[in-house]
Amino acid sequence: MKRRSYLIFILILIFSGLTLGQKTSHFYNVDKEIRIEGTIQEITMEPRYKNTSPFLIVKLKETKTQQVYNIELSPARFFEQNFYKGEHLEVVGSLYLSGENNLNIIAREVRFRGETLVLRDKHGFPNWRGGSMKKQGRRKGKRF
Amino acid sequence: MKKYAFLAFLIMMLNPSLMADSFSLSFTQNMADNFFQNSLAEPDKLSSLSFYVDKDFSRFSVFSEGTYSYMYNNPNLTYSMQDAGLDYLHPLTAKSAFYFSLGGRGAFYRSNFSDYNYLAVNFYTAFKSYVSPTSIFNANYSLEYKNYESSLFDSISHALLVSFDKYLQTRTTLKAEMSWGYKSFLHPFISQENPPVEDASTSSKGKGKGRFSGGGYTSSISKADGGGQGIQVFSFSGLIAQGLGDKIGLNLTGMKQWTLSGENPFTYIEEFYSIENPSYDRFSWSGTQWSSQLTVLMPWNIQVKLGYTMARKEFPGIESLNLEGESLGITRKDRRKQIDLRVEKNFPRFSLYLSYFYMINHSNDPFFEWTGHFFSAGVEWNFFHGER
Repeated sequence: MKRRSYLIFILILIFSGLTLGQKTSHFYNVDKEIRIEGTIQEITMEPRYKNTSPFLIVKLKETKTQQVYNIELSPARFFEQNFYKGEHLEVVGSLYLSGENNLNIIAREVRFRGETLVLRDKHGFPNWRGGSMKKQGRRKGKRF
Repeated sequence: MKKYAFLAFLIMMLNPSLMADSFSLSFTQNMADNFFQNSLAEPDKLSSLSFYVDKDFSRFSVFSEGTYSYMYNNPNLTYSMQDAGLDYLHPLTAKSAFYFSLGGRGAFYRSNFSDYNYLAVNFYTAFKSYVSPTSIFNANYSLEYKNYESSLFDSISHALLVSFDKYLQTRTTLKAEMSWGYKSFLHPFISQENPPVEDASTSSKGKGKGRFSGGGYTSSISKADGGGQGIQVFSFSGLIAQGLGDKIGLNLTGMKQWTLSGENPFTYIEEFYSIENPSYDRFSWSGTQWSSQLTVLMPWNIQVKLGYTMARKEFPGIESLNLEGESLGITRKDRRKQIDLRVEKNFPRFSLYLSYFYMINHSNDPFFEWTGHFFSAGVEWNFFHGER
């Protein structure tokens, strides 16, 4: 009896996880990956996915076409990085359309000021982390 | 008990909603020709293996990190450290947000350095707001309680930081920052323990000064007069950063720190390379620091950072001693110059980095007149599971 209860409990946890894990938003499609360069027009925090913190969104005007893209960075980057209007960015990410042909890019890699921010791996899985504000300066060798 | 642990592990592994969003493993190898940063110039190597795991639950995320570090020539300073906590991001408007983090940490050293063992609880909160599209206001506060195996080091500290920065169309960033901090030693006392005795194997260390760098007993003994329970510091810093094209960044930072009240309650203080030492932290000094850094994004996406730092520090409450351990009747003052180079390359699943520091430290305490070369190489593997 006890063993059966355990089994039912485990199965409930596993299958509840399968349903809770499903989200109905857009996702990183590697087949739609593009690279653009442009100038920042605006920086905002906007909700993007169900049950997650709002994302840092950068509106970027592409240098070549003058089209404006909404670049989706990550939640924690709002605190970790300072972006400003007028700054030049190079972005690699997955393109998707929303609303009335709004151009959006889920950023995988951002280059600016001589640095590269890797936000997702090549398959689009995010690599931002919790506790990152506290962790800064404690990893990767000596800090003074 | 083992059965429950196994069940918990099984559920964690099979339940997608509980599975970690990211998991990383890293290995770092450090080498230094002066690990304890003093005139004895003792070389050593330190290998560190770390893991990091986190999981998002709505706007919360829980995280845990563990590190095991092994020292080759001084294995009694080998230690392990474990962090765990949760954090929360709360947007106030589209342009501003709060961040909260609550965490705990345990650090465990071997044998003679067990006095450094501690358990800590920390709380951190930050607020950031875009005052305009080109200017940012930032404020943060941190509170940390540390309970050491040697109660001499037990402390509670507060730190408050406020900054304002402005980006100009010339690709110049200006930043001003003010910081206040207060650290209270909860049990300053005169040690009743017998003065530590060095054994034969470590007798060459300390050289008659009663200092035991890398040898045995922890570094600091409370002063007879205690020096007061709390240290209050205030600092002001300014930064100017300039973008030169898209692949080069240059910045210059100046900082001045004052000790407003209190002084170090120890007879002497030391800092160790890569190892946290409770007698040396941001509260232990006043003075100035200038640093500059050049960041270059090279071909193949290799990041290179080259830096130069100059610092003048005074350690209130710390008297300089001669090599026989006798007081010179003056407060310890150090001047340091440092060159550092870091090369980093990020691959889709892992990152590699190499770093090198060269430091020259001049001090009116001859024991802290030293130079050192510090090398570090590391690799970090990342495994991500979160939603794409």
